[in-house]
Amino acid sequence: MQQTKGLALEVRLSAYIDGELGEAERSELDALLARDDDARTLLEKLKAGSAFGNRAFEDFLHDPVPLALVRQIKQGGGISPKLERVTTSNHPKRSVRVLPRLVAASVGLLLTGGVAGFILGSMANFVDPAAETVASPWIDEIADYHRIYSRQKAHLVEVPASQASHIETWLTSSVGVPFKIPDLTRKGLAFEGARLLVANGKPVAQLVYRDREGEIFAICFLRGGNGTQGNEFSETIRGDLGFVSWQKEGSSFVVVGPSSAAGLQDLAHTVAAVI
Amino acid sequence: MRPAAEMKDFRRDLVSLLPKLRRFAMTLTRNANDADDLVQEVCERAINRSHLWNGEGRLESWIYTMTRNLWVDEVRKRKVRGAGSMVDIFDQDELNVEAAAEKAVFVNQLQKMILSMPEGLASVFLLVNVEGHSYRETATILGIPIGTVMSRLSAARLRLAAMLSEDTERRA
Repeated sequence: MQQTKGLALEVRLSAYIDGELGEAERSELDALLARDDDARTLLEKLKAGSAFGNRAFEDFLHDPVPLALVRQIKQGGGISPKLERVTTSNHPKRSVRVLPRLVAASVGLLLTGGVAGFILGSMANFVDPAAETVASPWIDEIADYHRIYSRQKAHLVEVPASQASHIETWLTSSVGVPFKIPDLTRKGLAFEGARLLVANGKPVAQLVYRDREGEIFAICFLRGGNGTQGNEFSETIRGDLGFVSWQKEGSSFVVVGPSSAAGLQDLAHTVAAVI
Repeated sequence: MRPAAEMKDFRRDLVSLLPKLRRFAMTLTRNANDADDLVQEVCERAINRSHLWNGEGRLESWIYTMTRNLWVDEVRKRKVRGAGSMVDIFDQDELNVEAAAEKAVFVNQLQKMILSMPEGLASVFLLVNVEGHSYRETATILGIPIGTVMSRLSAARLRLAAMLSEDTERRA
């Protein structure tokens, strides 16, 4: 608890709002507020400032974070986020010493990124995206589908979520993979419906979900496939999309979502356990 | 060396923290470009030093402290680089923030208001009022005495109340 006796009244009332005062000081200020209109007005002003500030700061969280940075953290690749910055529009041109800074940043990042990439790559079990591209072309096709369909507002899915039991029967017989539609509401995802896609010349089931911010996630699976073998989960990023893939009982699965989504691995584990 | 699974968790937590980390960085740098550079530098350092994170307390407190330290270093470096010039980097930053605001760098009016607050107020307000850190935690993160936390916080609240009042009048 803080001692505020002798400090300005606004400082004391501010600490009063935050519950940072001891019982004695709190009682003293309670008594002051009960008899002094100016003190009450000041308290209300401080509270109004707090509420206004909360709203203003909430707004910052809607700014996009640099996707390249997300990639670098997740995969440890030698990417230069400073050169691939994704931020709000209307950024000013940096007025002075831009070129030297960019060159220095690029060289520095090349070195640090390379070292960090080596270290992280050696510690983690992430799959090299290039290798993954060769090993799992179906994921590339899924990425193309996802980019197109996730932007469809009126026709996001082929069969809506209201026909869930039909979706299970239809896709099980079409794809040859028995499954239950995972309930991902606890992960903040609402089931929107499904599509039947084609990748590697094979039918692929796509279950589509939407999160609270309108971002689209999908679970795709096909019989066979050449994704990651065994029970290992493999995470990779293609541009703006993140993928976590695995194989189970002769079928290949992948969870797709925005590459900035932090919980894609968790989501894949949940899906693998219940689908 | 940190086990791979823990390392993966650490990186995942770091990614989750990015929006909040960027917001905190914005209160320090008061412009988006510097904030993004700072966030990147912090993330690199955090990953390289993740073995030092003991898992106790809030990860963000550890990362925020690192962010503040890196920003203080950066400001010092800029001061040294700018020693021969006519304009002190702090003054230059103040001017840039004002100019940036005028040029509508930040689309959102509220963000613009926050970033126009005097140096040090926004960070304290964010940590205590928005993110619920105690005065002591905030003082530790920002490397300032608790008394300064208290005075800056009340000043920030009054400043924000004044902004609210101006905003309401403007809309009326």
